[in-house]
Amino acid sequence: MNQHELEGRLTQLEEKLIASERRPHNRIFLLCEAENAYEINRFLFEEVQARFVIATGIDSDDCFEILYHYSYDQTGCVITVDTFLRDRDRPTIESIALLIPGAEWIEREIHDLLGIDFLHHPDMRRLILSDSWPEGVYPLRKDSVEPASRPDGEPEDRPQDQLKSPARRTISLSKPVLPVGPFHPLQEEMEYFQLAVDGEVVTDIDMRISYNHRGMEKISESLQFDQVPFLVSRICGICSASHPLAYVQAVEDIAGVTPPERALYVRTIINELERIHSHVLWVGLAGHFIGYDTVFMWAWKYREPVLDLLEMITGNRNNYGNVKVGGCRSDIPNELKPRIIREVGEIERKIDMLTKAVLDDPVLHARLKGVGILSKADAIRYAVTGPTARASGIPIDVRRDDPYAAYDLLDWNVITQPEGDVFAKAVVRLLETIESIKIVRQAVHKMPDGPICTEVKEIPPGEGCGHAEAPRGETFHYVRSDGGNRPVRHKMRAPSFVNVPSFKASCIGETIADVTITLASVDPCYSCTERLAVVDGDSKVLHDYSALLQLSRDKTDRLRHNIGSHRAGEEGG
Amino acid sequence: MNWRIRSLKKSPWVFHVNTGACNNCDIEIVDLLTPKFDVERFGIKLVGSPRHADALLVTGVVTAQAAPRLREIYRQTAKPCVVFAIGACACDKGIFYNGYHVVGPVDKIIKEIDPNAIIAYVPGCPPKPEAMIAGVVKALSVL
Repeated sequence: MNQHELEGRLTQLEEKLIASERRPHNRIFLLCEAENAYEINRFLFEEVQARFVIATGIDSDDCFEILYHYSYDQTGCVITVDTFLRDRDRPTIESIALLIPGAEWIEREIHDLLGIDFLHHPDMRRLILSDSWPEGVYPLRKDSVEPASRPDGEPEDRPQDQLKSPARRTISLSKPVLPVGPFHPLQEEMEYFQLAVDGEVVTDIDMRISYNHRGMEKISESLQFDQVPFLVSRICGICSASHPLAYVQAVEDIAGVTPPERALYVRTIINELERIHSHVLWVGLAGHFIGYDTVFMWAWKYREPVLDLLEMITGNRNNYGNVKVGGCRSDIPNELKPRIIREVGEIERKIDMLTKAVLDDPVLHARLKGVGILSKADAIRYAVTGPTARASGIPIDVRRDDPYAAYDLLDWNVITQPEGDVFAKAVVRLLETIESIKIVRQAVHKMPDGPICTEVKEIPPGEGCGHAEAPRGETFHYVRSDGGNRPVRHKMRAPSFVNVPSFKASCIGETIADVTITLASVDPCYSCTERLAVVDGDSKVLHDYSALLQLSRDKTDRLRHNIGSHRAGEEGG
Repeated sequence: MNWRIRSLKKSPWVFHVNTGACNNCDIEIVDLLTPKFDVERFGIKLVGSPRHADALLVTGVVTAQAAPRLREIYRQTAKPCVVFAIGACACDKGIFYNGYHVVGPVDKIIKEIDPNAIIAYVPGCPPKPEAMIAGVVKALSVL
């Protein structure tokens, strides 16, 4: 369906809407009351088949708003459903989590941060605030007062059964539980997984996040428009070019600014260099997880020249801080061009070698094929993005669907694989690295001379959506301005926030030994996600950490007794 | 006690603790182990348990959810030990200083349970791998 047909379909919604607006850059805003929201969401997701991106909760002065963002990837159109919850004292709305599993986490997050109740939500436990956070304090409400002393008590201080929304899971006693984390040698970041296991097979998975929640959406409201890129580049150190770019595009959308052409090329080159180093980093870590440490060492060695290039362009190996509203902060000097071409040529040879080695290795085929399959249907239900979606046969890529920077001026391909297993994800990433090298090479040749920045005097009132393709998938930023010099609301959605919940679809039924690489295969980034959680519905028993630890120890003891200490030791580690 | 602290200087084994970092300091720490910097040459080794560690490499602002875990990890680490606060966030909360979910910095949390803890700071956002090596060398030379 093309854009015209899409707009035709949307007219069917007319009687449920207060208003609908077509805005520049292919953005559509639909305004409605809370009672019609479910029906409109169902129509967009099931009949129009738009991809659910994220929802934004906003505390307006007299009411709450929830904005459901959808992306219609065939035409690159972003559809936003702006829903008004008029009852300030008891804001409630019908949950869409049963319709779209990918919306489950964001509804829990909005409940945590704004105190909006979602009716018929399958699992309303706490998601991103800490165990010790007081009930009834909602940090994103405009009238919220910070708790007098910042809560950082031991979780045991507060009896779990007194919490309205208990944070810890309700795993069934009948199954052995294998806890992984929050600190675990295999993980760089903190997250807490609980695997319900039947022998070797994982029957259920639960995740607890919050360890990395830094409350950036609130901090962003206290910074000026020009300061925010430095904050959002610190959402995640590896996506530190794509997050600011998505934010800057949202603000440029509000201000109606078009950056000069050279700036678009500079943005493209920095973003693609970032993708190259991120994908090579992933290849190394994936090798490490399955016991190919040579691949780990080699891949990280080949990554170093890219970091050196980025340091020469932006002054830092990570956290580039290079984009600003209206253009870029630093230019790529023309003398650097031959060096960029030489270095990416070198990386291309190495990636070629790694790709051939992966595709030819019978052990890797046996180890990774058919493992952790995320089917196309599940990928759509969980609304995953990036390489995770493309490896499940969904050909979406923001760079092509809703072109930004200079991507529409260059020649490159979107890589997809139909299988959805870990092997497909590895192949997608390796081949994408080659495409990125192609993009960098063309961009360096085609980059015109000229200024790198246009002056932006002020940001008018309004709202804007920006998205960019980060190495892990689509980053999405929504910014609302009231005409002042700070955003009144800034929503950040990182790709891992939708990719990580798909573990529920891909890990269950796998053996414990395969779970690690399945978890790693989406290249999860918890500093982006800042959250994780879910399992069985029938048990209402609450366990604290020590009970779970005991369960796990008992199981290890049992295994040690049954199989001998060697096998048990392997499983525990 | 003195000879025990001096014994930390040879081949320190380190445990990496992320208490709410953006991943930058963390990938730079892992970078130290890979061929370009390869600190294992000097016997510096990343270990899987704080009970085996001589030093903790702590990255990130300490979030409310991470603070009790950081205390617990410090309690489990064999004493004496050195705590390295790596990066601007770990040193003084960096850009997140006014976050509602941030209770750090690292030294405040550690000193709550051990006022005499040895804490070394490596500032930077993120500190370059060379800076981390220099920080470790400097700290070990004054012990």
